[in-house]
Amino acid sequence: MSTSVATRKRRRIPLVDRIALIICGLVLAIAVIGPWIAPHDPYAVNLSQRLLGPGPEHWLGTDINGRDVLSRILTGARTTLLATAVVLAVTVVIGVVVGTLAAVGGRVVDEIIMRITDVGLAVPSIVLALGFAVALGPGIGSAIIAVSVSWWPGYVRLIRTVVRETMQSEFVESAVALGVGRRRLILRHVLPNSLDILYVQVTLDVAAVMLVISGLSFIGVGAQVPSAEWGAMIAAAADNVTSGWWALVFPGLAIAITAIAFSLVGDWLRVLRDPTLKQEN
Amino acid sequence: MKSVLEVDGLTKSYPGASRPAAADVSFKMAEGSALGLVGESGSGKSTTARMIAGLEKPDKGWVVLGGRQIDGLSRRAMQRVRRDMQVVFQDPYSSLNPRMNVEQLVGEGLLVHSIETDRAARRREVERLLGLVGLGHVDLGAYPRSFSGGQRQRLAIARALAVRPKLLICDEPVSSLDVSVQAQVLNLLRDLQSELGLSILFIAHDLAVVRYLCDQVVVMSDGRVVEKGSREQVYGDPQHEYTRDLLAAVPVPDPSHSRRSVTEEK
Ligand SMILES: Nc1ncnc2c1ncn2[C@@H]1O[C@H](COP(=O)(O)OP(=O)(O)OP(=O)(O)O)[C@@H](O)[C@H]1O
Ligand SMILES: [Mg+2]
Repeated sequence: MSTSVATRKRRRIPLVDRIALIICGLVLAIAVIGPWIAPHDPYAVNLSQRLLGPGPEHWLGTDINGRDVLSRILTGARTTLLATAVVLAVTVVIGVVVGTLAAVGGRVVDEIIMRITDVGLAVPSIVLALGFAVALGPGIGSAIIAVSVSWWPGYVRLIRTVVRETMQSEFVESAVALGVGRRRLILRHVLPNSLDILYVQVTLDVAAVMLVISGLSFIGVGAQVPSAEWGAMIAAAADNVTSGWWALVFPGLAIAITAIAFSLVGDWLRVLRDPTLKQEN
Repeated sequence: MKSVLEVDGLTKSYPGASRPAAADVSFKMAEGSALGLVGESGSGKSTTARMIAGLEKPDKGWVVLGGRQIDGLSRRAMQRVRRDMQVVFQDPYSSLNPRMNVEQLVGEGLLVHSIETDRAARRREVERLLGLVGLGHVDLGAYPRSFSGGQRQRLAIARALAVRPKLLICDEPVSSLDVSVQAQVLNLLRDLQSELGLSILFIAHDLAVVRYLCDQVVVMSDGRVVEKGSREQVYGDPQHEYTRDLLAAVPVPDPSHSRRSVTEEK
């Protein structure tokens, strides 16, 4: 009885979350088809058109080089989100492999892995990024590496905790008692019952990683001009903010709206997964 | 008479506990018999069972299964031994992997012990096993969440029986089930025991249940064996104070009244 109530509640997605879901979907769609729906060439410099305010020809205005801001936002979605996706894919894979190893590999392995994650967590990604920017030259690649290096320890710890918890469950003991070997135990019994949490964490992290990537571009160690990456656009527009606020504000809004939407969806997924959280919110 | 299981001096202390969870537990089980291990909550029944099943390492004592000492075996060697000894756990809501369907759950033992490596043959065997536990009608692709407690425990029994163990350890297999379903599962175990010549180590805190199912009884209290003997001895002429108290405390319903309903739970 209680389960049917729960499922009915689950089906009705709250309005805010529905809007957030739609925005996330839109942003992802733009990341895929953005360059084709952009009304103007995002890189075409046209000095006679510089710093035009929002209007019928350029809906979101033009920047200091006369490039269409809307077209640049649509095109840049791909850069920002792809970089975010790469960071998350890499760190999730590392997290699952290393976190599982820490959870099941015995005390010594666990201890070593935990010490390394401590170091990883202690160094801020901005510092790492500056380091990589110096070593590899600034660029989106350096930003991706820097953020990945500082992001993986979080996933290792998350997975380690969940896997340890799952290892305690009775169905795992029951599988051991049946005679299931170590490999199969982990691959078929433990991991499938541990990785659900990733949907939530990854969705929440999209916002955070995106902000760091854009932030790195903004301070000049990530994507470089003339890239249409959102953080880089803001950086380029910062000098002329009084004469052309739109070139700064609209990419900023794109970042903010996307980050908020992904956070909301992440929170919604978290509550879905654990309905008891609902009261706290 | 050949014994399927012998335990001698099994002792286990958990760190921080004032007394051992199990101390010097010894008994023998004849092949094809059903032995009831009874005692109140905390008396060390599960600890004993877990040591026998190789899920917990004894501090002292040994376990001999079918003439072979099995405590202290390597993980690999123990894995092979498990073919002869299976466990049915107390709570069928947590002892079945929620991400595996009926076919995978019941067929897993056949797979990991390389008993039936051909998928189609394995599926036939799974169907036969399901029939054996009165679940002949269920969908092989269904997941545990769609079953009732009694049905889940039948699944767990089919899963354990798939490898044709000599010994089945049942740790309070019905105590988490509805009273109405308990008798059905007990009857099933009893039928299986006689049909398959299975030896059952049956753990319960309910003396009536043990009386119905078991020919040998071991009574535990505070981690120690306080009485052991045949059903007639223990129930007819209990020697120990504790056993008498246990017997006095328990009303004795007779599960044989619902005997016909073995396969009726759908
Ligand atoms: N993993 C553990 N760590 C610490 N103490 C434990 C552990 N498992 C059991 N114990 C303790 O050992 C004692 C015996 O527990 P055990 O589970 O064997 O009893 P039981 O007879 O099976 O009881 P029940 O009928 O409640 O299942 C108890 O005092 C219990 O608290
Ligand atoms: Mg117990």
